[in-house]
Amino acid sequence: MLRRLHISAAEVALVAALVLECIYFSIAAPSFATWGNFFEIIRFSVELGLLVIALTPILITGGIDLSVGSAIGMTAVLFGTMWHDGHLPIAACVALSLLLGLVAGGLNALLIAGLRLPPLIVTLGTFSLYRGIAEGITHGAVSFTGYPAGFLHLGQGYFWKLIPVQLPILIVVLAAYTILLHKSVIGRSIYAIGFNAEGARYAGIPVRKRLALLYVLSGIIASLAAVIYVAHLGLAKSDLGTGYELQAITAVVVGGVSVFGGRGTLLGSMLGLFFLSVLQNGMHLMALPSELTGVLIGVLLLAIVAVDRLRSTGTFKVTAGETPLRKRPAFALAAVVALGVVCTLLFHAAGHRNGTVAAGHRLTIAVMPKAKGDPYFISARAGAEEAAKELGVDLIWDGPTSLDASQQNELVENWITRGVDAIVVAVENKGSISTVLRKARAHGIPVLTWDADAELNARDYFLNQATPVGIANALTDEGARLLPNGGQFAIVTGALSAENQNEWIADIKKRVASNHPNLQLATIQPSDDDRDKAFNQTQVILKAYPQVKLIIAISAPAVPGAAEAVAQSGRIDVKVIGLSLPSICRTYLHDGSVQTIFLWNTQDLGYLTVYAGALKAEKKIQAGANSVHVGRLGNLEISGSEIILGKPLLIDKNNVDSLHF
Amino acid sequence: MKAYARELAVAATILLVLALLAATTHGFFTVDNLSDLFLANVPVLIVSLGMTLIILTGQIDISVGSVFAVCSIVTGVAARAGLPVLVAMLIASVVGALLGSFNGALVAWMRMPSIVVTLASMVAIRDGLRWQTQGAWVGDLPASFQRFGLSQTAYTILMLVVAVLLIVFFAVGLRYFRGGRNIFATGSNEAAARILGIDTNRVLFSVFAITGLLTGFSAALNAVRFNQIPSNSGIGLELKTIAAVAVGGATITGGSGTIAGTVLGVVLLGIIGPALTFLGVSAYWEHAIQGLIILAAVSVNVLSHYRRRQVSHA
Repeated sequence: MLRRLHISAAEVALVAALVLECIYFSIAAPSFATWGNFFEIIRFSVELGLLVIALTPILITGGIDLSVGSAIGMTAVLFGTMWHDGHLPIAACVALSLLLGLVAGGLNALLIAGLRLPPLIVTLGTFSLYRGIAEGITHGAVSFTGYPAGFLHLGQGYFWKLIPVQLPILIVVLAAYTILLHKSVIGRSIYAIGFNAEGARYAGIPVRKRLALLYVLSGIIASLAAVIYVAHLGLAKSDLGTGYELQAITAVVVGGVSVFGGRGTLLGSMLGLFFLSVLQNGMHLMALPSELTGVLIGVLLLAIVAVDRLRSTGTFKVTAGETPLRKRPAFALAAVVALGVVCTLLFHAAGHRNGTVAAGHRLTIAVMPKAKGDPYFISARAGAEEAAKELGVDLIWDGPTSLDASQQNELVENWITRGVDAIVVAVENKGSISTVLRKARAHGIPVLTWDADAELNARDYFLNQATPVGIANALTDEGARLLPNGGQFAIVTGALSAENQNEWIADIKKRVASNHPNLQLATIQPSDDDRDKAFNQTQVILKAYPQVKLIIAISAPAVPGAAEAVAQSGRIDVKVIGLSLPSICRTYLHDGSVQTIFLWNTQDLGYLTVYAGALKAEKKIQAGANSVHVGRLGNLEISGSEIILGKPLLIDKNNVDSLHF
Repeated sequence: MKAYARELAVAATILLVLALLAATTHGFFTVDNLSDLFLANVPVLIVSLGMTLIILTGQIDISVGSVFAVCSIVTGVAARAGLPVLVAMLIASVVGALLGSFNGALVAWMRMPSIVVTLASMVAIRDGLRWQTQGAWVGDLPASFQRFGLSQTAYTILMLVVAVLLIVFFAVGLRYFRGGRNIFATGSNEAAARILGIDTNRVLFSVFAITGLLTGFSAALNAVRFNQIPSNSGIGLELKTIAAVAVGGATITGGSGTIAGTVLGVVLLGIIGPALTFLGVSAYWEHAIQGLIILAAVSVNVLSHYRRRQVSHA
């Protein structure tokens, strides 16, 4: 029966694993087993699913395409440019985007099939090239928004209020690829190439033509994914699709495709994809930390490949290309059971560590930082935990491990499904998250924003620590004070595509133009929120722009990086100011390499997130009130729909030792 | 001369960039700037030496960035616990070697594909570290930690000596030592190498272990340049090193490549970013230009490679 359906033992094992996983989460994770959640998982899997489909035959030929994630970014940005600046109709934008995908895939095909270059290196080059083009066109900063509702419907709408609109597209592409790979002569030749390219050539298969076809198709599919992604998020930005290539490859490999080539199916790949999507969704619903997903996926990948080696050969002592000796589904089953036990233990441990395993009807306040690893948000977390303890509420503190607008959406979506009592979000991208925040409000969940605001009707209150203009003015005025005779200054920013920082840069430029015409901005360099990169960039700035007398570093890790570079260069005439935390700048403030840093008390801000979330959830903030009592922070002013934390704090060597965050 | 066509092409590109810089900018060719650039690229250089060995055997390691991050933190934690800095560096190197050995064992004896193995360890190690540290930096390091208490000049000279010794050791070892020849043999034709009596499993295991060791060592060397250690260092290191090796002329399918080429590749990719800043090109185009250079270099490599093959089968 199974043989007739062409379903292999590996796929049976995957189905079993998927079923076990679903049973586990249905029991352990609140609201997992609902239709709404089921389709939400699918919606978030569509873009990745398209890449998985395109990559499966490529991996079967023994090749790889690392450029698909970057191709998404490039196409998205070009789509946005055409719509926004070119004023083309949406249909023309879509057509031109697909054409661009064809060109992007064509370049890969030309180099791989034409010049016979190794796919890994070619697509590593185009990976960098395509992302670079996207960054170059937009200068990292611009994100194109404001698409017509009909287009957004493609990414955000439902059929019969349940089935995501983009699902049929995925199904059509999957069907087409299934025919191509599993029902056509071309498909057979793809397997032949993967099994033995040389042999395939002698058998009369046009190997290079077949490879070219697959890479071109992969480019087109990536651009299709980009269009859907833009509709889904409602914005086009240069960093869309970052890391998608590795996620897609992971899913394909979990699905049983051999990277040596010659083996694997689309069914397996899709099962692999859904196994991973369900895992991520279930872990979010259980409020387990995001980092755990990476650890689990790593372990899972190793386990699956190891089992695959064992199962197909019965022994490890073989070289590539040998035929399978016997099949042992028992191995696969044993591995799945073992893995299940390990996961249960891990989840249990993580639950305790996160402090989320609790009984009774306590309020659950979900707070999201922009990125979990950032020192700024880590110090805010301490305050959030303090407030949670004081109020006796459960705190879910989770967010993307690196800046990622779409992961923020996914988490909010999961929190709605879980049914938390308040959602407090530090918004990475206003345009992309507002839709899902409105959905949360429609479900009766109070929504607050902190650190950066969403659209006005997407939240109840914004916890305002300081406005971008306030921050930029404070920084620029302080810079002008330090350079009384004017001169050049340089900005070291975080990531080139960070919305917050680009807003500050714009406001700094405005302030310079209006109040300090004797200051000149020499250059802006990115640090990618990496201390070492900030250090290297500052060294280069000091050499390339010797006139620069002031560095304004506007990312927390960039300030110590810039300070160390200035200190090591011995240029005591160069001042460093910026936005950072006292804890990582203390030594530099004392030795004089950093003059001033600005920040609000991040611990207080974290405290406010949970406290205000709880107050709003219990409906204790009256409409129209102009102040609110927030625990140890006392009475805070409410202005319109903003709760004001206070002015930014000026931190220098005199007060740094009294601040502990 | 023909035998070094690939290296010469990279060297010529470097000279072109340098000539452009000399003609149009000031301040690039100062001792300060060059030593800054050198120090900034020491980690990439050292890890690339190991990556060359791995790529020569036809394998790949994309976990080096994550291993680098773990070893940086290990150095800091050990030093903060009161251990001498040299001991802390030793511990970091051992941790790196162990992580590399783990990858190597799976690739060599379990015959698992290296790209999957190291993809798994890349993700698991990076997220495991994030989970463990919760993103916190390691601070409060003893005064003797930064540059071993040496002056900047002394530290730069020390790094120069270390880098030169490592380059010479690997260049000579790869060419003249038995282990080095075994790497080429394994990468060119594993079955033939096995028939000749080479334990190819041991070769595969060793190149991963050595790369892990070098990654740990370079992480420790980099960590001591500062007085605190962030928890997210080494992001993208795998791409930088693989690109450097490929630009340097090694074929990704194994069996062909040189240490000299890799060093030139590191130099070329290392000066591109600063060169753009000096030339006043916006930083936003850096990735695109890097991608073009990689593609151009490998295209040239392959074309010259085919021609060379027809002349002699070196």
